[in-house]
Amino acid sequence: MMEFKGYQHPQSYFPEFPPESEWDVIIIGAGPNGLIAAAYLAKAGLKVALIERRYEIGGGLATEEILFPGYYSNIHAIYHMMVDYMPVLQDFDLGRHGLVWIKPNLQASMVFENGESLLLTRMIEDTADSISKFSIKDAQTFSRTMGRWRTIIREILAPATFIPPMLPIEITMALQKTDVGQELLELVEQSPLDIVTNLFENDKVRAMLLYNICMWGLDPRETGVGLFVALYLDRMMNKCYCQGGSHKMANSLGREIVQAGGVILDSSQVNNIIMEGGKAVGVDLWEGRTLRAKAIISTLDPQTTFVDLVGGENLPVSLKESVEGWKYDKWSLNTLHVVSEEQPKYLPKDQWASESFMTIFGFEGMDQMLEHWDNVVAGKLDTSIMGGHATCESFWDTHLVRVPPDRAHRQVSFFQHHAPYNLEGGWEQKGPEIEEAILQKWAKYAPNMKKENIVMTNQETPVDIEIRFPNMRYGSIKHGDYKPIQLGCFRPNQECSGNATPIPGLYTGGASNYPGGCVLGGSGYLVANKVAEDLGVTKWWKPTKEMEKYTKTYLEG
Amino acid sequence: MAKEERYDVIIVGAGHNGTTTAAYLAKCGLSVLVLEERPEGGGAQETVEPIAGVRIQPHAIGNYGGSAPGWEQLELWKYGFRMDYDPRYEVPFDTERGPMTREGTLQVAEEDQMGWAKITGLLGEPMFHKELLRATFWTPPHPSYIENDENTIPYMQVFKQYSPDLWTKELLEYTMFDFLDQHIKSEAFKVFQAYIANVSGAFGHFPGVAVPAVECVATVLPPAVAKPVASRGNMHGYYHALFRCAVANGATIRTCCPVEEIIIEHGRAVGVRLRDDATLGNKTIYANKAVISGAHIKPTFLKLIGPKHLDAGFLQKIKDLSLKGGSLYMTHFLTKEQLRYREQYKWPSHESFNGGFYCMENMEIYWKNLECVLGRQSNLDIPPDEAMWGMVGQTNYAESQPQCTREGYYVNGPLWMMVPTPEYNVDGTLAMDNGPADKEKWDQYMVKTLSCIVENADSDNIVKIWSDSPWGQEFRNTGMLGGSWYGTRCDRDEWWNERPTQELARYRVPDIEGLYLCHQSAAHPGGLCLMAVGYNLMHILIEDGICEPGPWWYESPWYIPEEGKISAKPGQGRV
Ligand SMILES: Cc1cc2nc3c(=O)[nH]c(=O)nc-3n(C[C@H](O)[C@H](O)[C@H](O)COP(=O)(O)OP(=O)(O)OC[C@H]3O[C@@H](n4cnc5c(N)ncnc54)[C@H](O)[C@@H]3O)c2cc1C
Ligand SMILES: Cc1cc2nc3c(=O)[nH]c(=O)nc-3n(C[C@H](O)[C@H](O)[C@H](O)COP(=O)(O)OP(=O)(O)OC[C@H]3O[C@@H](n4cnc5c(N)ncnc54)[C@H](O)[C@@H]3O)c2cc1C
Repeated sequence: MMEFKGYQHPQSYFPEFPPESEWDVIIIGAGPNGLIAAAYLAKAGLKVALIERRYEIGGGLATEEILFPGYYSNIHAIYHMMVDYMPVLQDFDLGRHGLVWIKPNLQASMVFENGESLLLTRMIEDTADSISKFSIKDAQTFSRTMGRWRTIIREILAPATFIPPMLPIEITMALQKTDVGQELLELVEQSPLDIVTNLFENDKVRAMLLYNICMWGLDPRETGVGLFVALYLDRMMNKCYCQGGSHKMANSLGREIVQAGGVILDSSQVNNIIMEGGKAVGVDLWEGRTLRAKAIISTLDPQTTFVDLVGGENLPVSLKESVEGWKYDKWSLNTLHVVSEEQPKYLPKDQWASESFMTIFGFEGMDQMLEHWDNVVAGKLDTSIMGGHATCESFWDTHLVRVPPDRAHRQVSFFQHHAPYNLEGGWEQKGPEIEEAILQKWAKYAPNMKKENIVMTNQETPVDIEIRFPNMRYGSIKHGDYKPIQLGCFRPNQECSGNATPIPGLYTGGASNYPGGCVLGGSGYLVANKVAEDLGVTKWWKPTKEMEKYTKTYLEG
Repeated sequence: MAKEERYDVIIVGAGHNGTTTAAYLAKCGLSVLVLEERPEGGGAQETVEPIAGVRIQPHAIGNYGGSAPGWEQLELWKYGFRMDYDPRYEVPFDTERGPMTREGTLQVAEEDQMGWAKITGLLGEPMFHKELLRATFWTPPHPSYIENDENTIPYMQVFKQYSPDLWTKELLEYTMFDFLDQHIKSEAFKVFQAYIANVSGAFGHFPGVAVPAVECVATVLPPAVAKPVASRGNMHGYYHALFRCAVANGATIRTCCPVEEIIIEHGRAVGVRLRDDATLGNKTIYANKAVISGAHIKPTFLKLIGPKHLDAGFLQKIKDLSLKGGSLYMTHFLTKEQLRYREQYKWPSHESFNGGFYCMENMEIYWKNLECVLGRQSNLDIPPDEAMWGMVGQTNYAESQPQCTREGYYVNGPLWMMVPTPEYNVDGTLAMDNGPADKEKWDQYMVKTLSCIVENADSDNIVKIWSDSPWGQEFRNTGMLGGSWYGTRCDRDEWWNERPTQELARYRVPDIEGLYLCHQSAAHPGGLCLMAVGYNLMHILIEDGICEPGPWWYESPWYIPEEGKISAKPGQGRV
């Protein structure tokens, strides 16, 4: 007689990752910084677990099919500014995973209503040629200035990105050692607006340069951030596109981590950092698993790390205060992703204007731009003076379009502009209006972007950024504002900017740490160095040539 | 840049099966290169977040693979594999929901449940549920000179051993319905099971595949899976574990690398040539031991190898392989309120909406649906209240793996419905995917049919609909010709020792040395993410001396080594 025993089976059908486990290092967040830290430390022989909340690693390195079905977009980072200098790209052979960088000469164009255009190019003289149409004097100034700034970047700012931050006074002393350093010091105290208006006379030229300088969130009128003017302008002339999409960089790093024995747990949210006797000893995941480790690295923003995960009650007073006072980015980005029947063709006769990596439009001069930014800071958007930049991604990358042959000619582009998180009236309400205004503006500057040619759109507002990445609070693409007291050795605060925190066992190393946001490869690299030192493992990597030279010239003797 | 690259094995396509094969071979210590055309691997195991905070599953949803030897052999847990609930928990016998008919939800009678439990090996001591599944899917077809009959076909051997009363010669001629008729009374329950089989591998009404059809269903019901959902991270999370297993064992996997040609020299596959826009300097890569195609069988032979190396008779057979019946129209609904069942579909243990299978009513409706999709192959003209479909609801996912984190919204789906394969659709390939107006039409059709069981599927509530037609699927994912989720269907002439054709049934290609097939369309057991093709293929690769697995390997107990080859049974040597 057969008897029914229920669906219980003696064998488990799916052996799973264990509920409790021990590691050397746990890293919270698989954005570029978490990935870089994990790759270095796993290769150093440490047992590393990298934990990511989303179903896909990469954080801001996200290439996803949001124009569904069939079209991939780089929904966050697309312009890679530090490819020339990032140690991670020198220390790892990511090319073997098929990582290919494209650095177009035509880096950016700015187009105007009357059909004029300005170019920003990798080769300095091409930009100068373009500027000469507006002002010969500005063209010459540009050639000469950029040549010197390039040296400043190569010798100082680029290598310093990957070396722990110093106090302003120490920096001043160090920079005085050379002429290049002294020139940089002269820049530091000025605001972006001062620098641009002092150097250049033509309004359109000023507008184009200032846009590139402030695009990542520098306040044009803030003094004390002058060094970023040189840095951004040089780097905005050297942006790279990651063929196949930015996610490829994440995936390549992911492979390095896994090949070195590291484990990646995606679709796993860290709910809290486990504290024992004042020390950070592990993490609890929402799904119920617990992981313990000697060192825990958070790449999240300060409030998530310290208030939500550690818990305000576990923080020393000074840390608590500085964390609570943390200022998130003053502006975020709103992006309209579009599938169109044709690649946008902009007004200028100069075809280079339509073929550059990034096309800026909407501003006829610097005043409009400043007014737009003031609006954004005040939580407003006046679409009549709003401008931004667009990129036709599929022009650079055939891999982004995966549709039937009768649609294969279609192109994927986006338009992006600075935008407040707290928009007056709310994004849910105002979003459709803004989308409409963007499309109208686009069609004005690129007449073939008319309604009939638009196949599909998808707008990612600052609120959406935060929904995808709760650590990008208020849509903060850099996890926190760029202002002098949140930069350098004050990022995120003096106690944590060297990557260790006042809480033993806990380290920070995301965009809210020195050197800051964007895909710089900086804080992930620095925190890996710090943790390797503290855990006493041998570093298998050496500083890059530029870093060694910088250290020798400025930091030694 | 143009330095010559060589690997032991090159695999075309990083879908489920290409990746599984890569993981196995890398674990054997071979140098393995996988080349994937798309920006992301995983093939049809994918998740998309089309708007912030909303996840959809355009393709695979349920993890049917619970009985795979791969879990033990590849140790996916080491690479982060997790289900999104505890698979070890006890599932009470009464299935939580029965089939839905126009009247309401049907409570399955206990005797019908017992009948089902009996034929799927859940009764008695010991239970033979896993053995039956493994014998059906996880065993390579026998060498061509072995007679396939009631004594040699693996699942028949399992019945013979564990439940001789089920073992009859006729079973090999039965349809699934014939088999169910003997053990189950309710017509609706039978139609329900057959429909799950139709969307899981083999058809309820095809003679000769009764057991495979039943097993396709058994592998997605408890205890093989406790809820009809997949792993943490959904099916793409399962893929991640496989992919990371391959990578951790040394495999190189590259995306955005479309293979344009499999290079054949002197009757041997020696390498591949990539399309010019592949993200790599070097477009020609060589394989020392084997090239394995994880791409659909039709482009593999018709394009990547081509008529240069193949005769017209063989090519004709490839052209004729059937894509029919595998095309699913997938729909997700974003709503402001949680969907609610109509009164007659409410179930005491389930307050909230969690999907279901609709219009699983009787044979008449079954035939009405299949006649349209398989017979006339014309656009759906079935009244929405008689359309057959299945759907997953949000509550099927663990709370700690929410599918929607957009406050104030709910995502529901996919709702999947069989539709005619575009290539054969008498209304044209674009018939169900001809621009926005067409999408709107089919969206409305899906809303209407969903409304049969849901009271608030109205335009106030539904904010957005994502639909993925078979035609779109074919190009989003080049593995899915015709959007066919199983590649080639599993009818008598395209299953087991006939899959995809007799001469290709053991994953080898006659007259081309060093070439093997691992796409679902080209290999037994076909569709579903079972890690089965890779496991089965391993037997053949061992036979051919391509790889030598370590002590972690065990072969299928029903495997018959081919004469003159090295046995895949460890220690047996050449037979
Ligand atoms: C729209 C947009 C456009 C941008 N464009 C560019 C560009 O062109 N170039 C450029 O250089 N930069 C760009 N950026 C900025 C850049 O993407 C970020 O500054 C960068 O990604 C920060 O890297 P990170 O590793 O510090 O953190 P993130 O990339 O934010 O990664 C953090 C990770 O942690 C995860 N996480 C969050 N909470 C938890 C938790 N509780 N448990 C586990 N994991 C968690 C997140 O899901 C995320 O993956 C852009 C950003 C946005 C939003
Ligand atoms: C709508 C739908 C629902 C499904 N539901 C389920 C489910 O619930 N559960 C389940 O287990 N299964 C389900 N499946 C089936 C399952 O997804 C497939 O059986 C499985 O993914 C097939 O894997 P594969 O590796 O054989 O092929 P594919 O997934 O098709 O992979 C082939 C890969 O090869 C790549 N490729 C093709 N040509 C080339 C080339 N020339 N060069 C380089 N790369 C190439 C493709 O891009 C693709 O990534 C579903 C499928 C569909 C379509």
